[in-house]
Amino acid sequence: MRNKGISLKWMWLVALMALTALVAAACGDDDDGAGGGGGAVTYGKAGFTTITIDAGAPVKIGISSVLSGDLKGLGEPIANAAALAGEGKDIKGHKIEFVRKDDSCTAEGGASAAAQILQENVVAAVGPICSGGVVAAQTQYEAKGVSHVSPSSTAIKPTTPDRGQVFQTFFRVTYNDSIQGPAQATFAKDKLGAKTAYIVYDTDAYGAGLRDAFRAAFVKGGGKIVGSPEGFEKKATDFKSIVTNIQAAKPDLVYFAGFYAEATPFIKQLRAADKNVKFLAGDGVKNDEFTKGAGADAEGAYLSLPSPVLTGPAYEAFGTAYEKATGAKRDASPFVAESYDAATVIINALNKVAVDDGGKLKIDLKKLNEEIRKTDLNGASGKIKFDARGDNAGGATPVTLFVIKDGKYAEQK
Amino acid sequence: MTILFATSTSFWVDQFVNGLTTGSLYALIALGYTMVYGVLQMINFAHGEVFMLGSFAGYGAMAAMGGSELDGAMIAVSILVALLAAMTASAATSVALERFAYRPLRNAPRLAPLISAIGASIFLQYLVLDRTSSEAKFYPNVFPDGSFGVEPFEIEYIQAFLIGSSLLMMVFLYLIIQKTKMGRAIRAVAESPSNASLMGVDVNRTIVNVFILGAAMAGVAGVLHGLFFQTIRGSMGFLPGIKAFTAAVLGGIGSVPGAVAGGFFLGMTETVGRELLNTIPGVDLPNQWRDVIAFSLLVLVLLFRPTGIFGEKVAKRA
Repeated sequence: MRNKGISLKWMWLVALMALTALVAAACGDDDDGAGGGGGAVTYGKAGFTTITIDAGAPVKIGISSVLSGDLKGLGEPIANAAALAGEGKDIKGHKIEFVRKDDSCTAEGGASAAAQILQENVVAAVGPICSGGVVAAQTQYEAKGVSHVSPSSTAIKPTTPDRGQVFQTFFRVTYNDSIQGPAQATFAKDKLGAKTAYIVYDTDAYGAGLRDAFRAAFVKGGGKIVGSPEGFEKKATDFKSIVTNIQAAKPDLVYFAGFYAEATPFIKQLRAADKNVKFLAGDGVKNDEFTKGAGADAEGAYLSLPSPVLTGPAYEAFGTAYEKATGAKRDASPFVAESYDAATVIINALNKVAVDDGGKLKIDLKKLNEEIRKTDLNGASGKIKFDARGDNAGGATPVTLFVIKDGKYAEQK
Repeated sequence: MTILFATSTSFWVDQFVNGLTTGSLYALIALGYTMVYGVLQMINFAHGEVFMLGSFAGYGAMAAMGGSELDGAMIAVSILVALLAAMTASAATSVALERFAYRPLRNAPRLAPLISAIGASIFLQYLVLDRTSSEAKFYPNVFPDGSFGVEPFEIEYIQAFLIGSSLLMMVFLYLIIQKTKMGRAIRAVAESPSNASLMGVDVNRTIVNVFILGAAMAGVAGVLHGLFFQTIRGSMGFLPGIKAFTAAVLGGIGSVPGAVAGGFFLGMTETVGRELLNTIPGVDLPNQWRDVIAFSLLVLVLLFRPTGIFGEKVAKRA
């Protein structure tokens, strides 16, 4: 008996090693899936139905955003801005009611918020706001035929041809990282003179997508990635080991693909070891919480947003209303104008397709979906037009770069 | 690719010190898990939150004393006050947890207090997230940058302070457990609660003492974590809590030296272990592998020593 026990142990060990090898083989091959796709697309089968709303009952629109936890400073303003778009408006006499659910900016959260929102008989939804959540929730929205417009998902994955399926019900207002990544790479090379870069990224769909987009463009332009891109999980605080590796690699630039909650401790630990290496990050970090938290250590950091510098009457009108309604500054966190536009797109389409049926309201979700795709809006965040995959094809897609100076974001030309 | 530059001595010294730093924090927190397990055979999953609350209490104390405005000797005083405040807050939380979440369930099936602990953990985490509006707080940067020692054997001041004070606390705990009457009572209860109570040991009182001691260690870890990483937030207890629990299991849950050994072992594996593997030609493991390495090791250790490195008592009991 005893002998048998020992040999069983060895079998376990062998099995474990085989498993490790398999996992390693599976994970090793995660190279560039970058590049959006045009051309004709074939949709899967979306479960469109017709929703009837009783007389006097409100029309419900879901909001899937991060409402608690480390990234509340990103998600709450986005949810507030979406709700503002419905203020004082109605759909053929029916009030608009927003159903807010917390998606924690994670894949699991996105899926569970989608389940909660879809239970409430919503006709459409804003969100999920993070790409990890979008990827996890798309099939659910598709199955129910509920169109959802994300204001802020920038990863390529939700609309990439490699995804295996084109989701008819998914739309997004912001531009995806096949634009932001290369713009950052060009900026790093041409404006910052960086020849080598060290990549640190959040392992979710957003961070990994941005990593690929930046890496591909940076290498294509003749730059060199030193070290292996280092991944971390959300809530990580200990970056000491990565910083030591960065010191050894001596890159010109540290490229960070993630959110401000982790960027703050990261840059503090980076600056304690190295005052000079340049730091570049994307929209997940560009938030007042970052400048507030990292203080002097954030000085000289470069950040990008996948949008033009917002100006114009639509933006001003939104900004004034938003500041009055929420008491928050319009540029304290990103994607608020995009979120307002996402809700506006939905409301406009609803007004066109909702049919009054003796006090009741009938909404054909398929027609709503088609109407949203026909959107041509000069919104607060710029021109909005959707292509067949749901990406915003509104026209000019500039990326704006900022540098932190005296605790403030200054545009970097 | 990492191998190309990972060859200098100072790189290895730095990673070694990083491992010790992380390891000593794990060890301090792991002590609380292991001691509670030693007397109650229960996993106090709210212990990560006890650590988090200690960190916040320390932050509050330092901010009240002037934070980054302080200089000279006042910095030392404020750190001391922060440590005391953290130990007090952590101990108070832990005592309340024991009284209201665990004691009523002491004779319930084992799963009940475990679920109660997980509930308490979520409650505390979200309470703090709510009170702070989910915003991070930042410890003042009071430590001078820089390091001492002879190149390449250098260590940053803050890391030296962190490792030093952790070790000091561990020695202190060891002396309490081995040399005092309270410690003897704890050891007796760990051996057998019913026999200890027949010998006149107040079992409830002793269990509270265990919670206080473990919490004090976690409180110190909270302040050290804050001083070192500077950023603290309501959700900060989760990862270190899981890691410290792993360290306690690795060392042999229920064993005090085991928790310390497990903590350092885990810290080292995550930092130096990964870099050592990276020196093998063709191997290139980025940071996200640290947990894979650490937990694979846990599986390996438990496969060959199911009771952990130091854990013999549990095996005997089970």
